[in-house]
Amino acid sequence: MKNPYEILGVSPSATDEEIKSAYKTLVKKYHPDNYSQSPLGEIADEKMQEINNAFDEIMNIRRGSSNAGEQTTGGKNMDYYRVRSLIQSGDITQADGILNSVPQNEKDAEWFFLKGSVCYTRGWLNEAYDNFATAVNLNPDNMEYKAALEQMNRNRMGYMNGNPQPQYNTNPNVTGCNGCDVCQGLICADCCCECMGSDLISCC
Amino acid sequence: MFGYVRALKPQMKVCEYDTYKSVYCGLCKKMGKEFGFVSRMTLSYDFTFLALMNMALNDFEICHKNERCIAHPLKKSMCLKCSDGLEYPSYAAVILIYHKLKDDYADKGFKGKTLAFVTLPFLKKGYKKAKNKYPDLAQKIEFYMNEQKKIEKKNTSSVDEACEASSQMMGEIASYLSDDEETKQVLSRFGYFLGRYVYLCDALDDLKKDCKKGNFNPLRNYFGFEEKELSSEDFDKARKYTLDSVNFTMAELAESYVNLNQKHFKPINDNVVYLGMKNTFSLVYNEKFGKKEKKEK
Repeated sequence: MKNPYEILGVSPSATDEEIKSAYKTLVKKYHPDNYSQSPLGEIADEKMQEINNAFDEIMNIRRGSSNAGEQTTGGKNMDYYRVRSLIQSGDITQADGILNSVPQNEKDAEWFFLKGSVCYTRGWLNEAYDNFATAVNLNPDNMEYKAALEQMNRNRMGYMNGNPQPQYNTNPNVTGCNGCDVCQGLICADCCCECMGSDLISCC
Repeated sequence: MFGYVRALKPQMKVCEYDTYKSVYCGLCKKMGKEFGFVSRMTLSYDFTFLALMNMALNDFEICHKNERCIAHPLKKSMCLKCSDGLEYPSYAAVILIYHKLKDDYADKGFKGKTLAFVTLPFLKKGYKKAKNKYPDLAQKIEFYMNEQKKIEKKNTSSVDEACEASSQMMGEIASYLSDDEETKQVLSRFGYFLGRYVYLCDALDDLKKDCKKGNFNPLRNYFGFEEKELSSEDFDKARKYTLDSVNFTMAELAESYVNLNQKHFKPINDNVVYLGMKNTFSLVYNEKFGKKEKKEK
């Protein structure tokens, strides 16, 4: 078997962070979605398998040699990476299984984000929203969590992709044109008329 | 299916509205021809949308004919003829309605039971015919109906979980609209959210009634309402929550809808997806979705 470090394209002295980012980039590159229409799909699948194995192997080696304190975080992070790639490949059941095996007191922002992603893919949108909100609460600085929550918030306000008539908002909570808008419009029209030398509302 | 998926007439062009009506009329006639008179009475706008989607995604031969209708015997109206395009929706409708009525007979109140008891014998033959033609579909619908019952027996307090079986079932029904594998997948997700929308509408629409009678309702369980008479604050809380859920659902529905390559009827379907469904939910939200709206054309 090839050297796992070679497969990921990193040197054996690379830090955990570097390895993770190299792994992420490769997973993105060989993701099945990119090859769904391509005859290269099978090769990409093989490559993906290779990358996953190499990553697991490196992480196993490193976990074995590091001290006990790091061991747990290392193990958990690796689980999260696996969950991520499982979600990306559409294997929701397995991803959910791994997430559910995490004990209650060890659930952190990342866990809630991933759980939210699993729910989202299944179509369980209410729970997805709650989980994303918890993730952002626990870690307000993470852009990824924020983006997910913002997208759902936009949807919550009634956004729909491809809507040819967004102006006809039938959301019962939004009152389209109220009395204030009408007056404002009239005054605006009046100003325009006055600029052109005539008048719409004679008293102002 | 309960008539929650329908077009918003004020935003339709006259030609679109005429076409919409002619599809309804054609589907009704088709059902009468295939399954007998009683099945026609069970038709709702939801299946008109299914028929429209079917004809939008496939190239069927379509023509219009001026015909009389039993509901309006004096006036001839336009009726769409398209045996290929209307066949699947009418079969799916009979299978679904048959199971729905069987369900009603098993656990609804006196009124529902009587209605189901009177109607079921007339549908039995039609159901058998439909089951022979689409055995997989009939089996899957039966499976999801049972799943739904199991979830309700469990008395779940998760709204998402309560929606699951109905949504999956609609996903299954919608996926039959195309033979292409990729389109099938998009349709399955589209159907999932369509089913979710219908279920959420129905849950809010029935909330007060279910509280009074102590029936299962996902919203009642979620908020833990115990009282028989729902206070207006409680109802407001529940309907705001449902509004959010419906908006989430509609956004996802649109995400898959835009990936469907519609060759015909797109403006009408756009109206249903972007305006009609939202409007129907507004009616439910404001407790105005009732018999009057159902009859209005």
